[in-house]
Amino acid sequence: MMPKMQFKRSVIGLFQPGSEDTVADSMDALKAGGYTEHEYELLTGTPYPEGTFGEAEPKHSLFRYPLIGAACGFIIGLILTSGTQLAYPLITGGKPVLSIPPMAIIMYEGTMLGAILFTVLGIIIESRLPRLFMGAYDTRITEGWIGVTVTTTEDRIGKAEEILRKSGAREVKRGWEKS
Amino acid sequence: MHSNGHSAHEGQAALATAAAVQQNLQQRHEKSGNMFRLAVLFSAGLLVLGVIGFILRIADGVSDTAMWGYYAAAFAFVLSTAVAAPMVAIAPRIAKAHWRRPISRIAELFGIVGIFNLLLFIPLIWVLPPLDNGRRTLWFFDMVGEPVPNYSPHIWATLAILALAAVGVMLLWVSALPDFAALRDRTTGRKQKMYAWLARGWYGTTQQWHMQKHRLGILGAFYFMMFIFVHFLITVDFLMALVPGWIDALYPVTHAASALQAGAASVIIVMVILRQWGGYKEYIGLDQFWGLGKLLFALSLLWIWFWFSSFNIFWFGRKPNEISVLELFIKGPYLPLFYAVFVLSFAFPLFFMIWNPIRKSIWGPTVLAVGVLIGIFLDRIRMYVAGYSVADQSPLHAMDHVPVANKPDIADIFILFGAIGGSILIYLLASRLIPIVSIWEQKELLLYKLHKPFHRTHVRVMGKPD
Repeated sequence: MMPKMQFKRSVIGLFQPGSEDTVADSMDALKAGGYTEHEYELLTGTPYPEGTFGEAEPKHSLFRYPLIGAACGFIIGLILTSGTQLAYPLITGGKPVLSIPPMAIIMYEGTMLGAILFTVLGIIIESRLPRLFMGAYDTRITEGWIGVTVTTTEDRIGKAEEILRKSGAREVKRGWEKS
Repeated sequence: MHSNGHSAHEGQAALATAAAVQQNLQQRHEKSGNMFRLAVLFSAGLLVLGVIGFILRIADGVSDTAMWGYYAAAFAFVLSTAVAAPMVAIAPRIAKAHWRRPISRIAELFGIVGIFNLLLFIPLIWVLPPLDNGRRTLWFFDMVGEPVPNYSPHIWATLAILALAAVGVMLLWVSALPDFAALRDRTTGRKQKMYAWLARGWYGTTQQWHMQKHRLGILGAFYFMMFIFVHFLITVDFLMALVPGWIDALYPVTHAASALQAGAASVIIVMVILRQWGGYKEYIGLDQFWGLGKLLFALSLLWIWFWFSSFNIFWFGRKPNEISVLELFIKGPYLPLFYAVFVLSFAFPLFFMIWNPIRKSIWGPTVLAVGVLIGIFLDRIRMYVAGYSVADQSPLHAMDHVPVANKPDIADIFILFGAIGGSILIYLLASRLIPIVSIWEQKELLLYKLHKPFHRTHVRVMGKPD
């Protein structure tokens, strides 16, 4: 028998500006209520110092893009300079065929171009995919209000609303939905 | 209040809540007065003159390199001012200096002028002779074959300037993402659609803030690295290689350091315009002028250090090629320009900025910044016009004669106006799309700022995030 399809729903608890401690308590309450860190999220209009709300430090992979790009660019620069010089092994001014100083210029530019290209691509890719299902949102977030969204299965959403209300949210709103 | 007399609120927003800051800065962003329209028309007029000047110049072809000296100087001036300005946002952000918050966007917005600089660069690709004209370069292109393509300087410099412009635009966009989202939330119709597209799904999650912080760090580092590299390539291939006997390892970094000086000066001038006539007095205050004034002062000292280090080598060396290089750039036909540059870029900043009342004021750094900009403008004319005037001698080991000063004709004057006007126009238009004072950074400041009584006075306590 096919399992019943679980619909996801999203709610947001809105907290007034200056109620950071209450928000932190509400996140603790969600955790205690059995919600995982993937199910609830904080929305703010300003970048709070990491850990202000006791939230886990987010992980990102942005550093991989410039590293991979830089490595590719460096290798291309190295192959281009050493390859052309080995293909045309001409002694210029008594200098070795493979001379590091002139090679370094092209290798540096290759490294930088590779790193920049991959970083730009990385930013575009990651920016387009914050996630497909945004969940609940309120424009007051950019006025200083703090939001806690819970995106979970339909059967658990009611309990999440209750926890948010009990922990001091001034308003609890339902967001748009996705199966 | 601070005992030095300036209001604790001056220079930082007097507005106490994020909502008030958001509303206030958005209103200012959406408002554009007659003065703004006048500035747009004026700069557009200058750009039109520049296009006319360019048509007049291109009508004579590109084979006579000397005729393009003023064009190259115009390009180098934009590279040294507008394209250097984003560095003013990058360095204090890395140092977590709070005073940069109201001015970081002013500096980053110059990143978009990098696209105009790239367009200005394109004709120079045709003006610069290929390597087979016999001049000595770093490219190992000589009598023993063709180890590198004939157009290597053209290819690599274009790629580098393209990368610099791309990073500048990217830096601006990533920095403005939260502001685009805030504007998306408060606009309607086409504007909302545009800001929603620019915000790319920004909702202010912890993950997004974390990512933005790291992206800004990485892009800032790349901008700095490419900025230095572009100055290296432009000076080595588009200036030094054209002057026979000019061998100076320090000049590329001298060019880059003076560009940082001009970048700081450009930001100071925009700051004073926004403060006095743009309605941003509550945001841009003494702290910002003081902070940037100190930077300008330090960079002015760097100018003399680099210049004197280069000069010493040539002056003591006294080989024929070194004597002719000094004759061309300093002692000869461009001596009046050299004096003006020396006074405006070094002597005035040194002798005036050592005084506290001048350094710690609004108008002191502003007047000196105007002087520095004029100084760098004259310096780029002195170097590029003089350099391009001897390009026909570039295959020689030393100049056989130093030509008289190349005075500008009407096309040159129009081109200089056009380069400056075009840069200002693009900046003005970009400021209509992107808030010129970063809204999110002002709101973030509220988290770290506290006014509290301290014995018989009040002090401002500033927190610093780890």
